[in-house]
Amino acid sequence: MQSLAVLSYTTTSAAGPGKAAIARALREERTGLAPNDLAWAPLDCWIGRIDALESVVLPERLRAFDCRNNRLALLALEQDGFIEAVAAARARHGAGRIGVFLGTSTSGILSTELAYQGRDPVTGKLPAAFRYDTTHNLDATTEFVRGVLGLTGPAMTISTACSSSAKVFCLAERFIRLGLVDAAVVGGVDSLCHTTLYGFTSLQLVAPDICRPYDTARRGLTIGEAGGFALLERGAGALQFMGYGETSDAYHMSTPHPDGDGARRAMLEALARASLATGEIDYINLHGTATPANDLAEGRAVHAIFGTGTPCSSTKGITGHTLGAAGITEAAVALLSIEHDFLPGCSTTREVDPATQCAIALRGEARKLRHVMSNSFGFGGNNCALVFGKGA
Amino acid sequence: MRVAIEAVGVIAPGLRDWESARAVLAGREAFAAAPLAPCMPASLPPPERRRSSPTVRLAIATAEQALGRTALPAPGMSLVFSSSEAAGVITHQLCEVLAGSRDVSPTQFSNSVHNAPSGYYSIAMNAKLGATSVCHGPWSFAAGLLAAAVQALCDGTPVLYVCYDSPLPAPLCEVMPVVEPTAIALVIAPGPSAAAIATWDLEVAATEGEVAWPHWMPPAWQANASARAFDALATLCGDGGVSAVLPLSPELNVRVARC
Repeated sequence: MQSLAVLSYTTTSAAGPGKAAIARALREERTGLAPNDLAWAPLDCWIGRIDALESVVLPERLRAFDCRNNRLALLALEQDGFIEAVAAARARHGAGRIGVFLGTSTSGILSTELAYQGRDPVTGKLPAAFRYDTTHNLDATTEFVRGVLGLTGPAMTISTACSSSAKVFCLAERFIRLGLVDAAVVGGVDSLCHTTLYGFTSLQLVAPDICRPYDTARRGLTIGEAGGFALLERGAGALQFMGYGETSDAYHMSTPHPDGDGARRAMLEALARASLATGEIDYINLHGTATPANDLAEGRAVHAIFGTGTPCSSTKGITGHTLGAAGITEAAVALLSIEHDFLPGCSTTREVDPATQCAIALRGEARKLRHVMSNSFGFGGNNCALVFGKGA
Repeated sequence: MRVAIEAVGVIAPGLRDWESARAVLAGREAFAAAPLAPCMPASLPPPERRRSSPTVRLAIATAEQALGRTALPAPGMSLVFSSSEAAGVITHQLCEVLAGSRDVSPTQFSNSVHNAPSGYYSIAMNAKLGATSVCHGPWSFAAGLLAAAVQALCDGTPVLYVCYDSPLPAPLCEVMPVVEPTAIALVIAPGPSAAAIATWDLEVAATEGEVAWPHWMPPAWQANASARAFDALATLCGDGGVSAVLPLSPELNVRVARC
């Protein structure tokens, strides 16, 4: 495919708001995760909560969208001059020629969970002030972001669990290629809620300790919240979106194919679209959730294609697994690693599980990085691999 | 943007398949409401049929109808599934548990993802290409149609597009009043094809006021994003030149013109 320019990008997670915070955390190998302190979800685990989120206030004209997910969307939008970059693109192309494609897994479901806690004990009715369409509906954040950015082009939300905000890059590329839009805002937002905290706990996929991707002693994931965005446009740029692959395992709803068959096909498809050979990928940012099954399947799939020649790491020890926002969070890590020529390590991993086979970079290091792959896999056996590169 | 429509599936109360829907859409028969029997998709293996939600079974049963009307093999199709609220009854059950014991069922949690229907479908049909699950609120039909069309054209492969709404229980239906199920499936191919029912030209254009609902349609279905499909399907019953307008946002429509 013809590469697209990544004109601007931003990421906000437990590592902090904006690119500089996570770049520093990656360099210093300092995790953003902490023991769970949520009074409303007292589970014995770690979480990746964004401290700055608690004080965000939505603008008056968009107050109907108020919920944790949209506060996080606003906080993320306000970092790294992203709003200004979109305004410049809007001036170039027109508000109707810029698409908005965002991913989420649970959107503002926390609002519905709280509304259910506040049901009328006699009638069972939800509190009168509760709004579903502007908070919980999966499209609520996309409409909110359109409102903040003043964009009127085609928009939609992709919700494919933990691959959601990776797949928006693919959708945007198709819209741009066919001329339906001239540029696109892609990204995603997912925030802490009861559903995912208790849901992943019920599946016995949450680690009691901090998550340790690809570690022999890994015991599961740590749930985090995050939001991030990228502005894509036709043409060349210092940073480029070069390729993608999308596949289905067709195997099981919540367990990956044991050999990572779908993951392997997604990575091969991404390489083909980017017209790159395996040896041209300098670093792979793994999905690396730290569940026993994911890391084993993904590691084998990576090894089947890349052998042990390509350094890989999962940065979820810093951010946690940010679910529907994992795709954009790790796309941002991939772009940062290219921009700074810095290969991130696996900060919380102590001893690499040899059964995962691929070449895990435990510690970060300065290294020239030209092409980077980022993997995202979700429930439903939904796989997406993205390739980013340095412009000429 | 030009795509071929290879096959259609329809399930709604009173519209049991594309044949019965076509008779109503073409004006040959009056719409007659009739209760819908629970969907039992034949392709879903028994364990998955047991574990899946009514929304999943509705989506897959509708997809099966379309697949039965095309020679194109299911594993060769990419998937675009679209719904304004796919989890529905599962969300209700989860929120009830989370407001009480918090003893969440792992199966329910895995079923709560928006892409559960496409996930179960991919297992049932051994469909291993990409699967995209779209939501765009009340505009979910037009948005999913665009996503499916661009995928078919860019990748050069047929796309199975399914759009569905499943009834929500109280109290969720107070805020999202979907009370009857409606679902449609389209097999969309990238190029002209001898087997196609028709070819559609799709165009994104500025809105020109509110888009009316079909006069025959029960008003209760106006809460269903998938019910916007009926205007598009009506173009498949007429001659070339007929068109339909599908709302995509407060500012935009998708115009579907039969070539």
